[in-house]
Amino acid sequence: MIGVSIQSTGEYMTPLEKAEARFGWKLVAPTILILSLLILYPLTYNVYLSFFDVQLNGSKTFVGFENYLKLVSNPDYYAAIWTTTLYLFGTVVGTTLLGLAMALLLRDPFKGRGLVNAAIMLPYVAPVISVVFGWQFLFDPISGVVNYLFVDVLPIWSERSNLIGDPDSALWVVVIFDVWKHAPIAYLLILSKLVSISSEQYEAAAIDGYGPIGRFFHVTLPELYFVLATVVLLRLIWNLNRFEDVYLLAPNVETLPIFTYYQAFTGVIDQGLAAATSVIQLAVLSVFIWFYIKKVMKW
Amino acid sequence: MRLNNLIIKLAAVGVSFSSVVNATTVEYWTVQTQSDRLQTIEIMADVFEALNPGIEVNIIGVDENDMAKQIAAAAAANTLPDLIEVGSELSLAFAEEGIVDTTANTEVINKIGKQRFYNGALGLVENPDLQEYVAVPYSGWVQGIWYRADWFEKAGLAPPTTWQNIEKAAKYFYKPEQNQYGILVGTKADSYAEQCYTQFALSNDAGQFNKDGELIFNSNAQKEVLDFYKNLAQYNPPGPQTWRARDYYLQGKLAMFFYSSYILDDIALAEAAASSLSSENFKDLKGATFDPNLAKHTRLATTITKTSPSSFGTLVGLTIMKNDNKEEVEATKSFIEYMNEKDQVVAYSHMAVGGHLPMLRDIAETDEFLNDPKGIFTQYGKESIKEIVAGFDNIRNFSVVDGKTFPKSGEIFAKQIIPRMVYQATIENEDTQKSLDWAEQEMNKVIAE
Repeated sequence: MIGVSIQSTGEYMTPLEKAEARFGWKLVAPTILILSLLILYPLTYNVYLSFFDVQLNGSKTFVGFENYLKLVSNPDYYAAIWTTTLYLFGTVVGTTLLGLAMALLLRDPFKGRGLVNAAIMLPYVAPVISVVFGWQFLFDPISGVVNYLFVDVLPIWSERSNLIGDPDSALWVVVIFDVWKHAPIAYLLILSKLVSISSEQYEAAAIDGYGPIGRFFHVTLPELYFVLATVVLLRLIWNLNRFEDVYLLAPNVETLPIFTYYQAFTGVIDQGLAAATSVIQLAVLSVFIWFYIKKVMKW
Repeated sequence: MRLNNLIIKLAAVGVSFSSVVNATTVEYWTVQTQSDRLQTIEIMADVFEALNPGIEVNIIGVDENDMAKQIAAAAAANTLPDLIEVGSELSLAFAEEGIVDTTANTEVINKIGKQRFYNGALGLVENPDLQEYVAVPYSGWVQGIWYRADWFEKAGLAPPTTWQNIEKAAKYFYKPEQNQYGILVGTKADSYAEQCYTQFALSNDAGQFNKDGELIFNSNAQKEVLDFYKNLAQYNPPGPQTWRARDYYLQGKLAMFFYSSYILDDIALAEAAASSLSSENFKDLKGATFDPNLAKHTRLATTITKTSPSSFGTLVGLTIMKNDNKEEVEATKSFIEYMNEKDQVVAYSHMAVGGHLPMLRDIAETDEFLNDPKGIFTQYGKESIKEIVAGFDNIRNFSVVDGKTFPKSGEIFAKQIIPRMVYQATIENEDTQKSLDWAEQEMNKVIAE
């Protein structure tokens, strides 16, 4: 507020207003200081570290852009970017569509809706580690129940397979896992907006001659635009940085966070390289979010 | 009178309080994370504390696979522990990073008596440039191929001690339609794959370094090893495989698998095997109950031969980390000496029978060690256990060539280059030469640093 008044009135402020503005800055100064310490300092230090070769005993050697060069000259880095793109596309589209479908289906009250809602939320609230182990046991090639069912009980598959381990299917298992686990949050966000759309809008559209599909595209979707855009944005940010689900379930799916981990944190830690990777990731993410917010969400 | 008593009590409280306040703390990170093992170590530490008032031992269990990361974080935060219990490769790698107190470790070894340790064990933790030790050898295990001797006998196959025999048996017993597999070698990119692979490599004299310290990993001999390993992996259960080999073997699904001597008790004792079996949930699954005859039907082949015999094992040592606080270093040294007394060594060995073979020759040959409380050693025969332990005189791994240790090998191990190469070749079906080229390139990066 105070910042705004300084900007809008500038040099035309009366002495009293100026004094008030100064007082305002004094009031927010502790917050700015603490935030700077907590956010700006680590951020700057990270950028600083990315130009050094850091030994565990604390000694640093300035190496210029070497860490960045090491990264961009590594073909695995580009493979990781491609895997991340597929992962993001699959998970974001999957969760949004599934969340939207569930919200549309469960919009109108019916008996037992509370129970269904609770069941839908279960994967989201369950701890990652326990569901990951659950999935691994289900898909275990020798004693897992999926192979037991599809090979022994109903002979649909001719041979046992390791869907989570096999690099060809692992990415898709990880995508399905993420959609299954995170669609509930998309569902919740979309449903909360959906129930607030007034029925008069639908009546008006019906009078204009729109059927159910026309009403969806001309009433529901425009109303949901910002919620959907938010869901997509949040999912993109979360999943670009998502580590634990992927690493625990299928560590051979090398998305960017997993790639960074193998590069920098396997064995003796390479802090310089890790810092460089995260600086690039932060820069890309920041530009992307800025573009998305300006162009898609039109803020 | 009452007042006097009170004063005495207060003084006593004050003294004990001040001794707690001024206590020297030995922070000890161990890879023994199972609660029963931690308890045993806690008890040993409690006795040490009682014998050494003013010293407190703080034990922290750290998962083996997280140790390198945790140490890195601790080093960055300047909160390194005083003492860590890790494999020799990691000790070498940490020493390269300058965070190990090699002088203190060497002093402890000299005090305990250098000649009492197995030669091979000392060789694995020696820094050749400084002629100092990066850890005090404490326990170890050997690896080999565990196999169903009854199946082999019935099929008329020779024990899996040569490449040829191993391949023949793996092929013979591979019956995926019956959910039975010929062998399990590590193919997931983790340390299990490295352990299996290393033994094959050393049996074909395909090393990492030559005696002059030049990287010779990408050789014809190495290509032979990787080709053979890739071929063998086709008799594995589907997909990347790792430690679950133990479970599958206990369920009767495997003819052969790699494992360390840690597994002695799992095979022999029903209660140790219980977690691998799933009889409660899947009563109809074949092999879901404990097989009391499994120990009798199981044999261990510790040596694999192609061009030369190779046995593989891992040495776990107690490593004193760098610390400016002299009192803490001295307290840590006396704690390690205490841990190397006979009672402690035997107690430590018996908490994982077969997995913690003692590194002090005179203790390994005593009846106290060989009579484990569950009688597991007796089941296999005392002489064969003595033979297994004595293998530590000649133990080999990539970091030692002709008695010379190459610490860079420890860093290569820590970077998981070999496991990732094995994964590429076996699971991603990458050409073996390309996988070797990739590994060589990665190793050169580590060496250049």
